[in-house]
Parts: sequence; C-alpha cells; structure tokens
Amino acid sequence: MNLVAKDFKSDLKPIWCPGCGDFGVLQAIYRALAAIGRPPHEIAFISGIGCSSRIPGYTTAYGFNSVHGRALPIAQGLKLARPELLVLAAGGDGDGFSIGGGHVPHAVRRNDDLTYIVMDNQTYGLTKGQLSPTSPLGLRTVTSTYGSLEHPVNPLLYVLAYGAGFVAQGTPADIAGLTEMIEAAIRYPGFAFVNVQSPCVTYGEEHQQIKAHKATMKALADLGHDPTSRAQALEHAHAYGRELLTGIYYQEPDPPPTLGALVRGRQEALASAAKPRAQILDAFVQH
Amino acid sequence: MSPTRNIDFTTLTMKDALDLAILIEEEAYDRYSELADQLTQHDTPDAAHFFRLMMANEEKHRAALADRRDAMFASAACGMTRAMIFDVEAPDYDEVRAFMTLRQALETALRAEQKAHAFFVAALERITDPTVRTLFEELAAEEVLHQDLVRRELAKAPPDPAIATEEFADEPTGE
Ligand SMILES: Cc1ncc(C[n+]2csc(CCOP(=O)(O)OP(=O)(O)O)c2C)c(N)n1
Ligand code: SF4
Repeated sequence: MNLVAKDFKSDLKPIWCPGCGDFGVLQAIYRALAAIGRPPHEIAFISGIGCSSRIPGYTTAYGFNSVHGRALPIAQGLKLARPELLVLAAGGDGDGFSIGGGHVPHAVRRNDDLTYIVMDNQTYGLTKGQLSPTSPLGLRTVTSTYGSLEHPVNPLLYVLAYGAGFVAQGTPADIAGLTEMIEAAIRYPGFAFVNVQSPCVTYGEEHQQIKAHKATMKALADLGHDPTSRAQALEHAHAYGRELLTGIYYQEPDPPPTLGALVRGRQEALASAAKPRAQILDAFVQH
Repeated sequence: MSPTRNIDFTTLTMKDALDLAILIEEEAYDRYSELADQLTQHDTPDAAHFFRLMMANEEKHRAALADRRDAMFASAACGMTRAMIFDVEAPDYDEVRAFMTLRQALETALRAEQKAHAFFVAALERITDPTVRTLFEELAAEEVLHQDLVRRELAKAPPDPAIATEEFADEPTGE
C-alpha cells in the first residue's frame, strides 16, 4: 500500500513543550510506518503514562495511553490475541525502566513480535523533572537537591543481556537514521527494542540536548561495528551515558520463533490430537 | 548526516530537480505550520504569527515552482517523494521554545534559510546537467535573498528582554 507520513498524523495537536525531542521521534515513527506500508487500522500503539506516552494519540493507528509502566504487558496480550496487528509499544525511561522495569525481561524472553520504543530523556518529564532510572550520577533535581547518589541503569546493556534479538539506539538529532532504525525494528520478527535519546528541553541538561547530540554522536556503522555480534554490541553498550553511539547494536541473524508462533503451533498440535466433542461427552457419561 | 536519501545528484533531471524543490518548500511549510501550532498552544503569539507568515512565503515559493513544473512537464508523474528529504529548509524541531521572542523566531528562520542555501550549494558540486545547475544556482541565490529579508526584519525587531525567556517556560500538566 502506498502510504505517506501524513497518513499517520492524527488531528490531535501535541501538547509537548515546543522543542521537545519527542516531536522528532514522532516524525520518525510516521516515516517508518509509511515505509512499512501497513494502513493505520492494522496498527496498534500502546503506551504507559508520561509525556512520551502521549505519542499513540498523535498517530492515526489504534492507540491506548494505558497505565504507568504497563505498556509491555498490554502490548503482549494484544499481540497474542490479535496476531495480525502490527503492535508498537512506547513510553519514557521512567515508564519502561522504573515502574515498568520488571516487565522488560519477560517481554524479551517471551519474544513476541512487537517493537518497543523508549524515549529516554533521563528525567520524569510529565511530573516535572524528578530523578529517573537513567538520570546520571550527581544530577540535581527537585528530588535530589544535593545531587543523585544512584548509578543510572544501562538499558542497552540489560536488554542485550536478557537476550533481545534486536537492540538499537537513536536520537531525533538524526531523524533519517532514527527512521531507518525504527523501520528495521518493526521488520524484525520478534521483540525489538529502540532506545531513543530524546531530550527534555524543560528539565534536561544542556549536554543532553539535540545540539549536543549533533556535535558528539557517533554512528556504530562508522566504528566498524558488526550488528550480528552480541559480544561487540555488549562492548559498545557500555558507552551508554558516556558516549552517544547510534545505530543497530544487535540484530539476531537467525531469529527464533516468536511466542505467538509457538502458541499457534501448540494449539494446532493439541487440536489435531483432540477428541471429537461427542467422545468427550461419552467419557463423562461412562464414569 | 545528509538531509536527503536515495537521490543521485549526478544524474538528477530537470523534472526531478523541480519536484525536489517543490517538496522542500512543502516540507518547510508543514514544519512552520507545526511550530506555529505548538507556539500558539504555549502562549507564544508573536513567534507563532511570524511562523505563519513564513508558511505563506513557503507556499508562494512552492506555487511558483509548481507552475514552472506544470509548464515544462505538464502531468508527467513525480519521481520524488517526501521520504527522500529530511529538514532541508524546515527549521529543526529543537529550534523553538515556549515564550521565545519574535527576534528568536526570526533567527530560527534565518538559520533555516542558511541551511537550505548550504544544501543547494553542496548539491551543485555533484550536479552535472546544465539546466539543473542553473535551477539550483537560482534556488541558492533565492535563499540568500530570503536571508536578507529576514535580516531586515531582525533589524526592526525589538531587542530581547534582559531575563532569559526560558525562565518562563510553561510546564506540562501532571497525570
Ligand atoms: C502508578 C503511578 N505512579 C506514578 C504516577 C505518576 N507519574 C506519571 S508519569 C511519571 C513518570 C514520567 O516519566 P517517564 O516515564 O520517563 O516519561 P516522560 O514524561 O519523561 O516522557 C510518573 C511518576 C502515575 N501516573 N501512576
Ligand atoms: S516536560 Fe520535557 S519530556 Fe515533557 S513535553 Fe516538556 S520537554 Fe518534553
């Protein structure tokens, strides 16, 4: 189907702060979906709660701005129930790695065919700039007046260590690169994770803004990275928080079956061995 | 980071060049429209108003190019798509802020025009077709004229207040 980015733009006007990184992420998602070519009614976009979690409403896909931290369980349930839908999940670093952090390893190990996009701004934007799980050590916020004493989580490292088949990192400083990455994630047949360094212009630090990204970002492809090597991906993932390395960290060359495929296989196997209804009733009558 | 994808400038035809130029104006129009909406929503009327004037300008340029294209190639199918361009003349999303001043909005437009000029100049290094070269030279020169226009407006614009406008940025609502 010949679709363009505008086909995925809803009439709802984003209320994000002007300059917010999430605008560029939204643009990249529109463009990636246009390249994929599935019409909006075949797409479901699930999010949690946060500024970034408003994103489904700004698309023409079916959307559910759900409960804080619960984008992944809802997206997985939906994908199992309606396997024909293209399912996207999205949210912030607070939504995904703090309150919802417990769901990530299970989404990875279940490996259902969905794409999880995290807009990682190292803060809780919606609730006015508290520490988030990816906030850097020493960051001063309303909840860390003297500087954070907690080490940030490294989402790239842990999603890779959980065994995810597709892991990438992008920034809206390079919308073209981010578009390609999201498109590749959607095409990957299994759980795909895209971490986007999406600056919060209201509560974020100067060095986390788009201009700083443009000046410092390095493409993994230019570093001779082999995206089929998990060992190399893990090595590069250690740079998270120190250096902005963008691109596909890891893409499983031989994707294993998804949970949905396994469930359908099991259902078919059980269905062929199942007794006809009349025989089941007989079994009850005899005993 | 190239602002274009899958375009070979060495073999660009006049029809494709005109279509590309039209899409660039269209992209800038859409972005100014989005930015004006954002700023209206966040109580920044002067900058929003200026971006709406820029929308009108971009539309005027687009229409002029479209007329030229129709005269030369009538209804021949367009071989270029918006998926091939990324913010060639459109201001970047991160250029705007709530409560930005008219002066800052003008500076944003100036940077966008400079970006577009740099794009046409860089493309000229690869273009071989003489008619396409003439068109791109003309487009690059127009971007310089637009910059001059914005600079003249900047000279008339009131100075920025002593307090940084960021101090007033409105915050999102909690949920
Ligand atoms: C169960 C529950 N706990 C807490 C909140 C308050 N809350 C809303 S959004 C949010 C964090 C937002 O940060 P993040 O997920 O990183 O998204 P951002 O706003 O930065 O895009 C919190 C703590 C809530 N809505 N529900
Ligand atoms: S508070 Fe930050 S994350 Fe939220 S809309 Fe504003 S800039 Fe974006």
